[in-house]
Amino acid sequence: MFSGPGGTVASITLRATMGRKRAFLFGLPALILVLVTVLLKIAHPAASDWPSTILGDFGFTVVLPLTALIIGTSVLGAEIDDGSVVHLLATPVRRSTVILSKFAVGAALTMVFVAVPELVAAVIATGGVTRLAGGLFVGALAGSVIYNAVFVMISVLTTRAIAVGLLYLLVWESLLGNFVSGARILSVGQYSLGIANSIAADSNLNAHLGVVTAVIMGGIVTAATLALAIRRLAAFSLKGDAV
Amino acid sequence: MTAIELRNVSRWYGNVVALNDVTMTIGPGVTGLLGPNGAGKSTLLHLVSGFLEPSRGEVTVGGAPSWRNPGVYRRLGLVPERASVYTFLTGQEFVRATARLHQLPDPDRAANRAIGIVEMAEAQHRKISTYSKGMRQRIKVAAALVHDPELLLLDEPFNGMDPRQRLHMMDLLEALGDEGRTILFSSHILEEVERLSGTIQVIVAGRLAASGDFRAIRRLMTSRPHVFLVHTSDDRRIGSALIGSPAVTGVEMTSGGLQVKASDYGAFSRQIAGLTRDQGVQLRALLPEDESLESVFAYLVES
Amino acid sequence: MTAENGALAAPGSGVIHDIGYRHYTGPRLGRAGIVRALVWHSLRSSVGIGRGAKAKIIPVIAFVVMCLPAVANAVSVAQGGHRLVPYDTYLFQLRVLVMIIFVAAQAPELVSRDLRSHVLPLYFSRPLTRLDYPVAKLIAFVLACLALIEIPLLLLYLGTIAQLHGPGAIWDQTRALIPGLLIGLLWAVLLAAIGLALASLSGRRAYATGSIAIYFFLTWILAGLLDSISGGRAHGPLAGAAGPATAGARLSGLVSPFTTLDGVRRWLGGTSRGPIPPPGGYGPLYGVMFLLLLAAALGLLAARYRKAAIS
Repeated sequence: MFSGPGGTVASITLRATMGRKRAFLFGLPALILVLVTVLLKIAHPAASDWPSTILGDFGFTVVLPLTALIIGTSVLGAEIDDGSVVHLLATPVRRSTVILSKFAVGAALTMVFVAVPELVAAVIATGGVTRLAGGLFVGALAGSVIYNAVFVMISVLTTRAIAVGLLYLLVWESLLGNFVSGARILSVGQYSLGIANSIAADSNLNAHLGVVTAVIMGGIVTAATLALAIRRLAAFSLKGDAV
Repeated sequence: MTAIELRNVSRWYGNVVALNDVTMTIGPGVTGLLGPNGAGKSTLLHLVSGFLEPSRGEVTVGGAPSWRNPGVYRRLGLVPERASVYTFLTGQEFVRATARLHQLPDPDRAANRAIGIVEMAEAQHRKISTYSKGMRQRIKVAAALVHDPELLLLDEPFNGMDPRQRLHMMDLLEALGDEGRTILFSSHILEEVERLSGTIQVIVAGRLAASGDFRAIRRLMTSRPHVFLVHTSDDRRIGSALIGSPAVTGVEMTSGGLQVKASDYGAFSRQIAGLTRDQGVQLRALLPEDESLESVFAYLVES
Repeated sequence: MTAENGALAAPGSGVIHDIGYRHYTGPRLGRAGIVRALVWHSLRSSVGIGRGAKAKIIPVIAFVVMCLPAVANAVSVAQGGHRLVPYDTYLFQLRVLVMIIFVAAQAPELVSRDLRSHVLPLYFSRPLTRLDYPVAKLIAFVLACLALIEIPLLLLYLGTIAQLHGPGAIWDQTRALIPGLLIGLLWAVLLAAIGLALASLSGRRAYATGSIAIYFFLTWILAGLLDSISGGRAHGPLAGAAGPATAGARLSGLVSPFTTLDGVRRWLGGTSRGPIPPPGGYGPLYGVMFLLLLAAALGLLAARYRKAAIS
């Protein structure tokens, strides 16, 4: 299917990630999003402000980050956990190839499980491909990329990647982001909203960052976290099999 | 020739020293790494295979360090002990994927060859989740051999194998060693190492206790002082008779019987029966006290 | 049949040598002792004691963050202000997020580890019934959550009364504190039960953490959004809509355990402003929902460990 070692890594990662029971968790948040949207559309056919609230607030505060968390920590974290990553690393494949391939798979899966449902839900909610729908879709695409870079990095750094990722999402992005405006410049959720808002121009999205800031910071965060992940993977150690 | 070299290598975790100033060279042929559990065998293998950084000293494979050097894997194959295999792949897919990761020009052919070497051709199209432990081990070896490496590292390869699988693996490793490859495997079972390797490296408590030809070390071990527990109908009489024998270096009366230290194991064992008969004493029990591997190793470390 | 050390056995027969193995002839604690030990041990691991420094990170962070409002309040009161933070709701959003993190991270430490390492047969081969184990784990985790919720409330209380004079004022504070403590107890019980029940479904801590986080967080945000969509008085982009809350807004809290707890608080007479509008006539529904959630969680836990094939 794919060619080259990167492709091999990617296809193994894809099969590994989608084959586990965890795959059921991937689609759940997005499913709920679509369901809620449909129900609300039936209850309030005249689209008022609720689409941008549900799809922006719920979608970008919950569905996007949580799904990206589950997926992003899955593509590498599970293999590090059970040791099977050794089979991958005991080859001359460059560590950057490993990280980037896994990151690409994670980002793509997140796009499928979040960005597409967002678009679908937005189209249902607003009755067509409006600016809101387009903005949300693009914002979710960007968020998929940036979040996955962060979570792949976290899974290289620690075995409790999900817990740490949760800490980041709940304490940093949710809590501090609501009370401390300075924290917003380092919040991936804000980058996604900023990008979404640049197209949708909807104040209900509560986007606090302009599109330029969002894109630049998002790019920096993505590059920096991936670089750190590559460095740490190059120093991967098998420790304490003391038996 | 690609040799493995360790020079004054130490590895510690905080206060715990896993390997203590180990220097050794490993050349072609089969070398066994022998030692009790917790001695540092896995640590050493991880250091050689580039999955652990030495706290001090140098580890080189064919002249180049193995740490942070993915290129070393072109010449090295690793069969780790605890790493699980991708259970959702078939055996063939796993080996073929490994071949692709090595960027071999003809991955399919290399995979088939490797699978043939480990004799897994019949099972190769089944998912690895259906394999037994021995089969998983063999498919791991196939993946480690797919790129025809000069070096093969195996961490406790016979763990959990039944006798037939063990024999098969031994024959395989012996054949690979005869081809001129450098094979290094670890075990804590004397007999496995004895059968397979010419050279052994004995690791005890992080230190290199002995190295070299197996038979020479065996002789060294048998000529070390032995301790026996002797129980007779008249311990004191036998004790005073024994101390007169040149093969005995020490006699102690303990509550469990007579503890005898013999410097010459062969001479002592020949003498004891005749001695008891001459003294008119009934010999009730003769038990070796320190035949365990650990005490053997301990003796080697002390000397 | 034992024999002296070193005696030869008759050929063909077997002998058990007495090599000095000492039989324990002292008192044995029995079932209660086991349960007590299990509770103590589980309590310690749920706050990361005895597991190394890394295990303590999340409990410590959770505790510190949870105490922040109490500290801020103490500072403000010392400077002459009133008590800012109510006892019965505390700082609701903060409490929600901290509890999500704590329960999602620590519940798996209690139950998933035992499942993964297959030690349950060891537990159940002792005089420990199938129910004792989850009950012990539940008690331990409720205690841990209780500490996390009530200690900051107590700090809040102490920080406030330190600046007060006269037994009348102090008694007022105490009267306000007690319901807060009781609500905190309900929180601890429900969240611990749900957390353990979800965690017991998986031996992999990552899956367990993920499931718990998704359930709590998703329902929480959903409740808030359903409320604001229904035109209710809530924070968020549609906030400020004055007037009586609609039925939809009143019922929106049922989807999330946190808002259910708050509904119960309202029903029992709490007056502080919460995340959702007061349920009014629907109060009993919230009580029923609370009991339903609790029963479901406890039932799941009991059923999970009753399976004979637990390995």
